Amino acid sequence: MINLNNMVDYHHFPIYSIMVLFLGAFLIAATGGKESKNPRNPAGFRAWIALIATGLSLFFLGSLVKPVMMDGEVIAYWMGSRGIAGGYAIGIALEVDALSLFFALLISTAVFVSAIYSIRYMVHDDCVPQYYVLYCLLAGGVLGLVLSGDIFNMFVMVEILTFAAVALTAFRTKVYGALEAAFKYLVVGCMGSTAILTGVIMLYAQYHTLNLAQLASLIPGSMNNATKLAFAFLYIGFSTKAFIVPFHPLAADAHGAAPASISVLISGVLTKSGIYGIIRLTYFLFQTMNLGASQFMLVFIGSVSMFVCVTMALAQHDFKRLLAYHSISQIGYVLAAVGLSTSLGVSAGLYHAMNHTLFKGLLFLAAGAVLHETGTTDLGKLGGLSKKMPHTTVLFLIGAFSISGVPPFNGFASKWMIYQAAYQKAVESNNIGFLAVTIVALVTSTLTLASFVKVSQSVFFGQLPKEYENVKEVPFGMRLAMGILAVLCILTGIFPNTVTGILTQPAAKAVADVGEYITAMGFKSNLPVPELNFAQVGVWEPINWLLILCCALLALTVVAVAGKYDRVSESESENEAVETKYQLFYGGEKNVYSQVGGGDLFWGFKHNWRHYFSFMHDLHSGVVNDYALWAVVALALAIVYMMIVF
Amino acid sequence: MILYNYICAFFLIVLGFYTIVTKYNLVKTVIGMSVMDYGVNLLIISVGYTPGGTAPVFTAGELTQASYFVDPIPQALTLTSIVIGACVTAMSMSLVMRLHESYGTLDTREIRRLRG
Amino acid sequence: MTANIFLNGLQYLGYILIFPGFLFCFLCGMLLVGIDRKLVARMQKRVGPPILQPFYDFFKLCGKETIVPAAASRTTFLLAPLVGLAALVVIQLFIPIRGFSAFSGMADIIVVLYLLLIPALAAILGAAASGSPYAGVGLSREMVTIIACELPLVLVLLAVAKAVGSTMGSGLCFSLSEIARYQVENGSLITRLSMIPAAIAFAMVIPGETGSHPFDTAEAETEICEGMHAEYSGAPLAVFKLSHAVKVLTMTSLFVALFLGGVGTGIIAVDGVIVFALCVIATALFISFVHAVTARLKIEQVFKYYWTVVSGLALLSLVLAWYGL
Repeated sequence: MINLNNMVDYHHFPIYSIMVLFLGAFLIAATGGKESKNPRNPAGFRAWIALIATGLSLFFLGSLVKPVMMDGEVIAYWMGSRGIAGGYAIGIALEVDALSLFFALLISTAVFVSAIYSIRYMVHDDCVPQYYVLYCLLAGGVLGLVLSGDIFNMFVMVEILTFAAVALTAFRTKVYGALEAAFKYLVVGCMGSTAILTGVIMLYAQYHTLNLAQLASLIPGSMNNATKLAFAFLYIGFSTKAFIVPFHPLAADAHGAAPASISVLISGVLTKSGIYGIIRLTYFLFQTMNLGASQFMLVFIGSVSMFVCVTMALAQHDFKRLLAYHSISQIGYVLAAVGLSTSLGVSAGLYHAMNHTLFKGLLFLAAGAVLHETGTTDLGKLGGLSKKMPHTTVLFLIGAFSISGVPPFNGFASKWMIYQAAYQKAVESNNIGFLAVTIVALVTSTLTLASFVKVSQSVFFGQLPKEYENVKEVPFGMRLAMGILAVLCILTGIFPNTVTGILTQPAAKAVADVGEYITAMGFKSNLPVPELNFAQVGVWEPINWLLILCCALLALTVVAVAGKYDRVSESESENEAVETKYQLFYGGEKNVYSQVGGGDLFWGFKHNWRHYFSFMHDLHSGVVNDYALWAVVALALAIVYMMIVF
Repeated sequence: MILYNYICAFFLIVLGFYTIVTKYNLVKTVIGMSVMDYGVNLLIISVGYTPGGTAPVFTAGELTQASYFVDPIPQALTLTSIVIGACVTAMSMSLVMRLHESYGTLDTREIRRLRG
Repeated sequence: MTANIFLNGLQYLGYILIFPGFLFCFLCGMLLVGIDRKLVARMQKRVGPPILQPFYDFFKLCGKETIVPAAASRTTFLLAPLVGLAALVVIQLFIPIRGFSAFSGMADIIVVLYLLLIPALAAILGAAASGSPYAGVGLSREMVTIIACELPLVLVLLAVAKAVGSTMGSGLCFSLSEIARYQVENGSLITRLSMIPAAIAFAMVIPGETGSHPFDTAEAETEICEGMHAEYSGAPLAVFKLSHAVKVLTMTSLFVALFLGGVGTGIIAVDGVIVFALCVIATALFISFVHAVTARLKIEQVFKYYWTVVSGLALLSLVLAWYGL
């Protein structure tokens, strides 16, 4: 008989959270591909299955916060209770420490919100039931990746998620460039997966185990050329999943072409799985992060990613493609912060990773809302939507402020910690190189803001083109999904200490305390328990600041209202003469539709950088061979670097 | 002997990379991906090889201390890897078909609507 | 206990509303602008408006009709000036006046750097919401000016953080009140060799941030009809004018706080007057004088100037501070 008490033991929850998603995928597939008659939900009850599966998964992971995050337990779970024999791990294991759970929570939140959004968003598409099958597979794959305690399972999950992501990228086959994007993604993604598998096998050949904890206890101190080679292969493999430089063009293509609900997953979830892989690799398996060379590698690539991608974003004229480049730019922040290898840096990096999932998800959903109503994401064609879609505009602005790091939104809180961490590292190690990271990060942040000013000017503000006169606000289901993310963006922004205390500091602690990860699985470790210091140099108290701002704003508003500030004239009159009086000011010219094009904003900036921009434009040629060549070159460089420095 | 296996495996992987990078035909790109995959499969199998070992298949009671067999785990891994490789090939070929329908060409240099 | 909280609340309300909040900002900012206009006029051999002219302008504009254009999104259009002004006043609360600062624990230079973005952002969003093409051009130039100023500003602030931090112990110091305390103990920062280029760079940033000659490309009355303010009229325009005045005060008093700090008298009113006098000098030197002798630059020249000359100076200062000069 099944023991119910045993079943609700929270040690089973990690596997439940993965299995409900795969089970959901199976159920949806098993009930056939026939579409329902309901025009508002073509997938019928299968959409609800997906929603319930993702919701349950989130619930299971959420109930693990107490034991894992707060009590610091590391859950080691052997499938089929096989465990360890003769000092070697033979079973397949899940191992959930605070780091895994942190990423798993991010992922399941994004997946759940995006599932809510999908129901109303996918109404114009065909084959929607199949969409949900792939959706659940993708979600299950990523969750399996971050919860797995076994490196070969990580590879299998990488393949599942790559496969599902490629299929979903090509899902709207009629969309301009969707097939092409999917193919490029598949080719380079497959090279990445192959690299991961090669690395896994080389590790197996050396150590005869696939268990992460056991590998972590064996590898450090016994590095030879084969393990270095394996490290290079694994690193490049996970880089392709995180889309960091030089794999960023794929992200731009894939995010742009996929449905918005999938862009959320690719940007907020897939990139996180790559970052997770890199953290596991560098901090746990090889434990090289105490070496300057390893720190340099991550920080350098992170800084390059943030700068290159933000400049690429400035040159874009498609809403989603622009967001895609920003996504990788923010991932650059995460990688650079994690690479600093201080407890503040890791905590800041993880915090930014979380915020990235929230605000990037919000922005992609807003882009999807615009696409859903207008049928285009071309910045040159849109304009003035704020009058037609006021809620979407506000939600978009919250996301835009968050990503540009405007206080008091969440992007500011995490970026602020990253600046400090980088500067502190520079001072402590007396290395002026880390100072450059602070400067690049600050400038990138301003460029991000510029880019979002461009989007808001050319999509939501400015003048409304004639063909969008009849645009309506998006359905409630979609606004609800965006609203959840917007509220989370604000909450994580104004309570940074609570968030870091509950979520990111335990995760950063788990990153530092590798010994605990190894011993929890039943292997011996003599790694010392590290001393952690999360002290910050500066102060940022959003609550107090917000109170002051509110007081000031309130005082001002009272004065303004008392002074009849809001009694304004508007052009609601039928009278022709009055109407012309309240039209825009054209200096006596006749009123025409005249929108400043998105591509022409910031001309003054682009002019000075024109050589750089044209060089970058030519470099991102769009030919799959070039991108494959970049991957091979990156692999070769990584191998050479590892061989020389370690 | 096993050294040749390793050389051959890495040769296949590099050959796959070479094909993907230099060939401008989509079908050839897919072939390159498959070759790369076979290289890795060969590598996995070679890793598990023990000279003189038998197949790791035993029934209850047959397994003794003296049994001498090749490592079974890489064989299981290879199976997984082959399945995944087949899926990837099927997926990429279907994408190639659709691409040919909508672009009218298989030349990668012409399939570059998304760039910059 | 309750009385205590009440009194504290009253005190903070006083800070926000009177000194160094709204009333102080309003009076001093407007006075600075008035002095600036008078000085420029005298340098150009004109008589110029009376020093109180900005006050007259402000009250007159408040009495005028407000027009919201048909293409504008009303809420954003009307709310933007208020948010910008409120944010500026909040920044002013953080800037120490000699030894005194209203909210000492929270004053942090990187936070202030980011808060400085909010007024500009509010103006940009308001302009975008107006739907006017002139405003579109204006906001694009304003944004480029912000990007241009950001790099030198960042470098200057990091240099100051390093220079103060290396003396104060921890190696790094982001707190404005700590910087003020340092200057009380060790004399003004400008007396340190490494800080001289930084001070010059910051002085060059002031006209860019406040949008005065020769970096007023974003407003350019003769060319794009005041750019971002093209559609504004009545009270919202008055608020924008006030914001500009407060920004002049903010930037100059930030300059004073960062580089010209020192021992105060201990009496807040006297210190306030001293700081205001220093602000007037800074305005005269960095805004009025520059205004009188230069012509407006093109936007790409603005950008180039800030990212080469000014950033170079600031970087020099940072490197000098790094090696402990």
